[in-house]
Amino acid sequence: MHLRVDLAPKGKRSLVLDNPVMTASGCFGNGLEFAKIFDIERLGAIVSKGVTLRPRQGNPQPRIVETAAGMINSIGLQNIGVEAIVRDVAPIWATWRVPVVVNIAGESIEDYAELAHHLDGVAGVSGLELNVSCPNVASGLEFGCDPEMAAAVTRAVSQETTLPVLVKLTPNVTDIVAVAKAVVEAGADALTLINTFPALTIDIDKQRRALGWGSGGLSGPALKPIALKMVYEVAAAVEAPIIGCGGIVSAGDAVEYFMAGATAVQIGTATFVNPRAPLDVLEGIGAYLSQQGIEDLRELVGAALPTPRPAAG
Amino acid sequence: MKLESALVLSQEQVYQDTFLMWLSCPPVAKGGSPGRFVMVHCGDGLDPLLPRPMSFHRFRSERSERQFAILYDVRGRGTQWLSRRRASDELALFGPLGRGFAVDPQAQNLLLVAGGLGVAALVTLADDAVAAGKAVTLLQGARTAAKLFPAHLLPEEVEVVSTTDDGSTGHKGYVTELLPQYLSWADAVFACGPNPMFEAIAAAVRGSGSGLTRRSGKSVQLLMEEHMGCGTGVCYGCAVFTPKGVRLVCKDGPRFNFREIFR
Ligand SMILES: Cc1cc2nc3c(=O)[nH]c(=O)nc-3n(C[C@H](O)[C@H](O)[C@H](O)COP(=O)(O)OP(=O)(O)OC[C@H]3O[C@@H](n4cnc5c(N)ncnc54)[C@H](O)[C@@H]3O)c2cc1C
Ligand SMILES: Cc1cc2nc3c(=O)[nH]c(=O)nc-3n(C[C@H](O)[C@H](O)[C@H](O)COP(=O)(O)O)c2cc1C
Ligand code: FES
Repeated sequence: MHLRVDLAPKGKRSLVLDNPVMTASGCFGNGLEFAKIFDIERLGAIVSKGVTLRPRQGNPQPRIVETAAGMINSIGLQNIGVEAIVRDVAPIWATWRVPVVVNIAGESIEDYAELAHHLDGVAGVSGLELNVSCPNVASGLEFGCDPEMAAAVTRAVSQETTLPVLVKLTPNVTDIVAVAKAVVEAGADALTLINTFPALTIDIDKQRRALGWGSGGLSGPALKPIALKMVYEVAAAVEAPIIGCGGIVSAGDAVEYFMAGATAVQIGTATFVNPRAPLDVLEGIGAYLSQQGIEDLRELVGAALPTPRPAAG
Repeated sequence: MKLESALVLSQEQVYQDTFLMWLSCPPVAKGGSPGRFVMVHCGDGLDPLLPRPMSFHRFRSERSERQFAILYDVRGRGTQWLSRRRASDELALFGPLGRGFAVDPQAQNLLLVAGGLGVAALVTLADDAVAAGKAVTLLQGARTAAKLFPAHLLPEEVEVVSTTDDGSTGHKGYVTELLPQYLSWADAVFACGPNPMFEAIAAAVRGSGSGLTRRSGKSVQLLMEEHMGCGTGVCYGCAVFTPKGVRLVCKDGPRFNFREIFR
């Protein structure tokens, strides 16, 4: 059965995964915890927690609230900072067979460029994923909300690295296709769709917002139909490989994303529901394909699109 | 570790809104110990989505199978669903998780301090300590008499001292007000309850001259709670801010040594 995918077919360096199931940033730590629990090296790729230039403590409690078939988080990018990642964690990644993609986040274009510079050539790092759902301190706007700003970040990173660059788009936009086109033009090898959707809940006893930070990002099954539509729209308009992300809990969910045009998928919140969810989804995809008599996953990619996608990878 | 199916052996309401559920799930029971916890799914589908953290309340051995119980309060929709399960129903859960209590074999006098349903996690510690021939005193505080863990459900060797916020039983006030009287007796203290209770314990320990200091070898262990996403250390939802930096309740805790949290 052919499950192999290339997320950077046109890049300086390829990013070939044995299979299309990745973990989503922030939902798998840095992979170290689960490495002890199950065979994570069977996954297609691991994506790290968002990494910033300096260590961050993150937001006050509560950081998580549950909502209907979903949850809202405002972790606040708690992480150990890029230096500790390079010094302490990357050497462990380097011993794994599974590629690790480092998710990076910044407050300015220079931050992203510097992060990319730090991570270039580091053993154990196979790619970068740009989280552009962060506010640009200069303007207060999220980088990912504006095609030009998103493109500028992508360009700055591409100049600093030979690593494959994935850009993770925010759903917090009017026209996601415009952003997708702009970042591909600026050098993105692949697109991850989508990050969490801005959301909040009110604690009616306390008469204030339930999360310590106020608002946060919605994830989980509640997000899936929104994410799926964005994948579908972008897949119809852009050639670069797309990684579908949002509310996937089962192989059936993943197959929907493939049919909407995604080349690979990321599993996030489902891992909180079932620690083995990424492997279960992978095994379920295999079972689905053999049941359907499909030999090559690429046959499914874009099956539901108005015109078939050119096979990537 | 994976999602396991646990068989409900029994479920009973033991006191006001508080339920006791015995479960059979050998892979989870195996590594269970006082202070550790499980993540229990409280619904059939994807809503409610997140599993609920529940402490091991008690262990027993039935025909050489290790079984465990949880003791829980009905709070929101998850625990409401849980309270409607019956014997022979199945639950999805995973664990055991976290770092549990560590009892120094030398410690003879154990003081357990419970605020509200914090008592759920301390009962199995009392069971073990009594079995090991140690002296155990449980200070437990609750809103009102109906919310106190019934003393007759504890080994009879345990000395139980109760306080209630409304004075309906025992001392009227917070459980921590009684602490100073017991601290010098105790070789080790184990506490579980809301965060303000830990602050009060910190104040009592500092003011006691009880010898519960860094060098005495006496330990004070706190079992902490925060809202959880994953329970496995990967989402960073359950952070606690300590003098030494951010720690995770599910992975670094839920048991913390006093000095890890308070200077
Ligand atoms: C390590 C640990 C051990 C625990 N052990 C016990 C126990 O033995 N017995 C017991 O009754 N309770 C225990 N709790 C608290 C218990 O998890 C909550 O009461 C329960 O999750 C409430 O769920 P709900 O669906 O009824 O409430 P809802 O309000 O509907 O829950 C919504 C969300 O908030 C979370 N939440 C709500 N209250 C709490 C809380 N106090 N702590 C953490 N998360 C919360 C839920 O898990 C869920 O994700 C423990 C908590 C932790 C962190
Ligand atoms: C607790 C939590 C932390 C997250 N942290 C990050 C992060 O650091 N960087 C990032 O790009 N996305 C982060 N995300 C977003 C996820 O990677 C993913 O895009 C989103 O949750 C949707 O997928 P899901 O529904 O499968 O969880 C986080 C999500 C959650 C729930
Ligand atoms: S609950 Fe996810 S890190 Fe503790």
